[in-house]
Amino acid sequence: MKKLYTIMAIVLLASMVLTACGTAATPTEAMPAATQAPAATQAPAATAAMPAATATTSATAPDCTQANVFCVGDVTDVGHVDDKSFNQSTWEGVQQAKADGTADWIQFIETSDSKDYAKNIDTFAEAGYKVIVTTGFNLTDPTYAAAKQYPNIMFIGVDQGLQKDDNHPDWPLPNLVALVFHEDQSGFLVGALAAQMSKSHNIGGVFGTDAVPAVWRYGEGYRAGAAYEDKKNGTTTTVTNVYHNDVGFNLTFTDPTWGATTANSMIDKGADVIFGGGGITGNGAVDATAQRKVLAIGVDTDQYYTLPEADAYLLTSAMKPIPAPLGDLIGLAKAGKFPTNGLYYGASGFAPYHDVASQVPANVDAEMQSLLKALTDGTLQTGVPDAKPAQ
Amino acid sequence: MQRSDEQGLAKNFGRWLEPLLVPVLAILTAVIVGGIIIKVVNGDPIAAYRGLIQGAFGSPKALSETAVWATPYIFAGLAVAFAFQGGLFNIGAEGQIALGAVLSALIGYALPGWLHTSLPAYIHIPLAVGMGMLAGAIWAAIPGALKAYTGGHEVINTIMMNYIALNLTSFLLNGPMRDPNPLDLSARTPEIAPSARIPPLFNIPGMRVHWGFVLALVVAVIIWWILWKTTLGFEIRTVGANPDAAKYAGINVKRTIIVTMAISGALAGLAGAIEVTALNYRHELGFSTGYGFDAIAIALLGKTNPYGVILAAILFGAMRNGATRMQFLTQIPTDIISVIQALILLFVAADAIIRFIYRIRARAERVVLTRGWGG
Repeated sequence: MKKLYTIMAIVLLASMVLTACGTAATPTEAMPAATQAPAATQAPAATAAMPAATATTSATAPDCTQANVFCVGDVTDVGHVDDKSFNQSTWEGVQQAKADGTADWIQFIETSDSKDYAKNIDTFAEAGYKVIVTTGFNLTDPTYAAAKQYPNIMFIGVDQGLQKDDNHPDWPLPNLVALVFHEDQSGFLVGALAAQMSKSHNIGGVFGTDAVPAVWRYGEGYRAGAAYEDKKNGTTTTVTNVYHNDVGFNLTFTDPTWGATTANSMIDKGADVIFGGGGITGNGAVDATAQRKVLAIGVDTDQYYTLPEADAYLLTSAMKPIPAPLGDLIGLAKAGKFPTNGLYYGASGFAPYHDVASQVPANVDAEMQSLLKALTDGTLQTGVPDAKPAQ
Repeated sequence: MQRSDEQGLAKNFGRWLEPLLVPVLAILTAVIVGGIIIKVVNGDPIAAYRGLIQGAFGSPKALSETAVWATPYIFAGLAVAFAFQGGLFNIGAEGQIALGAVLSALIGYALPGWLHTSLPAYIHIPLAVGMGMLAGAIWAAIPGALKAYTGGHEVINTIMMNYIALNLTSFLLNGPMRDPNPLDLSARTPEIAPSARIPPLFNIPGMRVHWGFVLALVVAVIIWWILWKTTLGFEIRTVGANPDAAKYAGINVKRTIIVTMAISGALAGLAGAIEVTALNYRHELGFSTGYGFDAIAIALLGKTNPYGVILAAILFGAMRNGATRMQFLTQIPTDIISVIQALILLFVAADAIIRFIYRIRARAERVVLTRGWGG
């Protein structure tokens, strides 16, 4: 009988390990859209967040209910603050606010189960935090509800593009701002890079449905960026953008096979840079492209860290860099200049070249840096409208 | 549990307290070891545990959240414990919970549309919950039937059924059952109709504890009653103790195995159905993950007794709930809770360690949990 107890214990521990792996895999499935997973500006160092976490352990929390103590809380989506993705870059942004001297005290709560979203936000609210940051689309509704419940606390929803609709009738709220991004600018940057790097002057983009405005903006930005470089360099680059439109919403972001097939057919027709944008569908395109030893471009986050199998041919990723604008937004909140229209746009970006850096000529990189600067300060416009014009 | 002839420390415990001895000492030891781990990573164990207890029991709201967490744990723990009593090891609670949640959500949001009419709550709620139970029951009865008629081991088959259930759920939530609203980027169902929602116990904002918690306590009593006060329960326990003797005594062993698994699966399905109808009002990929595996630990810690399961489920629920406040106050990762839970489990399962540490002599009578391989 004792043996059986031992066997059961082993089976149990094994199953716990299996669950742990299973849980880690879910977020990818649960969040298919290109717009959802935001990004890290710099190459995210896995160690960056944790030492900071341990460091705060020793310090004593001030009384955040005091009017002159500016506390900022960060509620993650299910996962950890060192996830190399949106949870991590959000926490980096909050840390930025501390480093800037905006926040007197910062703290995070890592959500371990999605039913705790509201409870975790409440924990900060009841402790008198002045600003509460929440990460990712899944927290949109709990954040909206909390913003209505606590009108004196300012809420920042990272990548939670909202609009007035039946579920959010009171949007925009004076104390809720979504940090969002101009996807067309990120697309523009990688399009410009692709056009300069392409030897065949034939580049492709594989996307989820263009019914989602953010995806369409990535695609059109990509086209506009390539056209801009063509005009400048006197080249003619063929840009083939294919959207996975003729399937249900259920499949458009979760079809890596279609992404791979589409990328392969573009390569067969001579394309030598492929931009994959749109959840797992886009990942399929990036993977297949790298397997063909052709340059690939990722989306949202620096996919060097999330698609390691494509690393050797990953040129860059069209990114939504969170930390800097988040730090600025927290600063606005403290200064009493919190935006009232419910939206705050962060500057776009593109990921480092990593393994293919040696292939990128210095003049191309210089051009990229100047484009980034021009887009950020507004001297350069992508010319892409917010949504696809009705036909 | 029967009186034992133990000497020493255990002698002073009454008849009812004695079975609690090993679990309580296991928890204590796990908490001490957990504290050492916290200390090793430069945390303050006292502050951490204070935060944990505050977060779990420190306010009416904290108690409410602990009950919210305990509810699915009670149902799922009962599911696993019930199968244990019949000598069966139901590792498939995870999949049964998921399917229970999926079907209950489907009935919850789609049924009024199919019938072109709105339903009164007293019909809609039982239907949604009942279909969730049915889904779990069928899903568990399949490995039960495989065990009864082919001898296929239920451990293997329930694990395999988990994969089928979880991938089926993923397909349904990404596909046919996905919320058609294009602004909804998550893989989840639409919200269920108000008529399918189980109300909260108190009409106070922030107090989420719902009637599902009361139902869980009632169901625990019913399960105890079935197991120890009915013929079916006697048959189940007899088959669990010794299937050959049960067969010799004229019990239909095959039927009993299937019924045991079906009831176990219905309880797991109920866990999922209540999460949907009383708490989340929809099902989503990533909801309720891991509850089925936690349930195995809860059933073991509760010594497969329904009342023991309630206590173990409240303990696990309190730890999961209190973890938020612990991390908020001390920034110690909530993962430490998983470590402590695993340690409790280890000490309960391998109770020789606890008996050695605290010098408790082994009891003469032992609970037969499962007959193991090929039994």
